[in-house]
Amino acid sequence: MTAHLSMEQLLALRDGDRSEPGLAEAQRHFSGCSRCQIELDRLHQRTARLRALPILVPAGNEFPAVQQRMAVERRQRHWRSAATAVLAAAAALVLTVIGRDIVHPTRLDAEQQLRTAMSKSAQLEQRLRDWNSDQRVIDGQTAIVVIQLEDKIADLDARLQAQATHRRSAPTAEELKLWQQRVGLMNALVDVHLTNASSVGL
Amino acid sequence: MNAMSLPDADAVIARARLGDPVALEALYRAYAVPVYNLSRRICRTTEDAEDILQETFFEVCRSIRNYRGDGSIWGWIRSVASSKALMRLRRNKYRDTDELNDDFAPSRSASPGLRMDLESAMARLTDTARAVVWLHDVEGYTHEEIAGQMGKTVSFSKSQLARAHVRLRSWLGEEALA
Repeated sequence: MTAHLSMEQLLALRDGDRSEPGLAEAQRHFSGCSRCQIELDRLHQRTARLRALPILVPAGNEFPAVQQRMAVERRQRHWRSAATAVLAAAAALVLTVIGRDIVHPTRLDAEQQLRTAMSKSAQLEQRLRDWNSDQRVIDGQTAIVVIQLEDKIADLDARLQAQATHRRSAPTAEELKLWQQRVGLMNALVDVHLTNASSVGL
Repeated sequence: MNAMSLPDADAVIARARLGDPVALEALYRAYAVPVYNLSRRICRTTEDAEDILQETFFEVCRSIRNYRGDGSIWGWIRSVASSKALMRLRRNKYRDTDELNDDFAPSRSASPGLRMDLESAMARLTDTARAVVWLHDVEGYTHEEIAGQMGKTVSFSKSQLARAHVRLRSWLGEEALA
C-alpha cells in the first residue's frame, strides 16, 4: 500500500473496528508510516479534547416544569375519564329525547339547543385529542391556566353527571346552561393550547 | 462523560417507580447536568437543550416503571435524552442538510490566527454530523446504536463520523501532512 490511510481507516484503527475492509493491510502500512502515525495521534488528541470540553450546566431548574406537566397529565387523564362518562350519559339522553320529539314536538327548541351544545363540546374534545396536547411542551404559566380550566370543566362534568342521573323528563334550563358553559370552557382550553403552540413555533 | 453518582441508587429508583416525587426529584438532581450537557452538545441552542432536559425528565417520570434495571439508570436516562435530542434535530431539519457544509470554513491557507477553536468547529458541523461525533466519540455509543437511534445504516454513521473528522481537522488547522 502506497497511499496513506483514509480517515475511515484511521478511525477503524483507533476503534479496533475489524469490520473495516482491508484493515490488516492498513495496519501493515501504519506500522511503517510516520505520517499516518502522526495522523492517528492527532485523532486521539482531538477526541481527548472533545471529551475534555467544559461541562455545560442548565441555567435553571426544570423540575418544577416537569412536575407541572405531570400534574396536567394526571388531571387530563382524570378529567377525560369523567368526560367520557358524561358524554356517554349525554348520548343516551339524546337518544331518549329524539324518541320523545316525535310525541312532544313543543320541546324541540330546548332539546335542539342541548344537542347542539353537546355536539359542539364533543367536537372540541376531539380537537384537543387530535392536537395531542399531552405531548406538547408548555410553559409553567400556561400549565397553571390549563389546570384551572380543566378543574372548572371537571366541576361542571360532576354537576352534569348528577343532572343526567336524576333527570327523567325534558332537559332543564339549568342543564342547558351547564352544557353551554362547558362549551365556553372547552373553547378557552383549545385557545390556550393553540396560543401556546404558536408562541413556541410548533 | 461520566454522570454524577446517585447515592443509594436502588432505593431511590424503587421509590421513583412508585411515583414518589422526592425520589423523582433526586433522579433529576443527579442527572440533569449530564442530560443537559449531552443535549446542548448535540443541539444548537440553549432553548432546545432546556426543552430536551424537560422532555427527558417528563418521560423518565412517566416511564420509570418500565425501567427493569437491566443496565445502569444513567444508561437508560441517557438513551431517553439522546432519543429526544435526535427527535429535536429531525424537527429542526430545515436547518440541516445531508452534506457537510463547509461554505464558512477557513481556507486551507488560513493563518493560524484564523483557526477555529474546537467548540466553534463542532458548532459548524451539520446537526447530524455533530450528533454522531458526540454520541460516538464522547458518550461511547457504537455505530450500531447510533444507526438504530437515527433510523440509518451503520455505514451512514461511520461515514458521517469520518467526514466530520476530516472537516474538524481542516477547521482546526491540523491539515494532513504534505
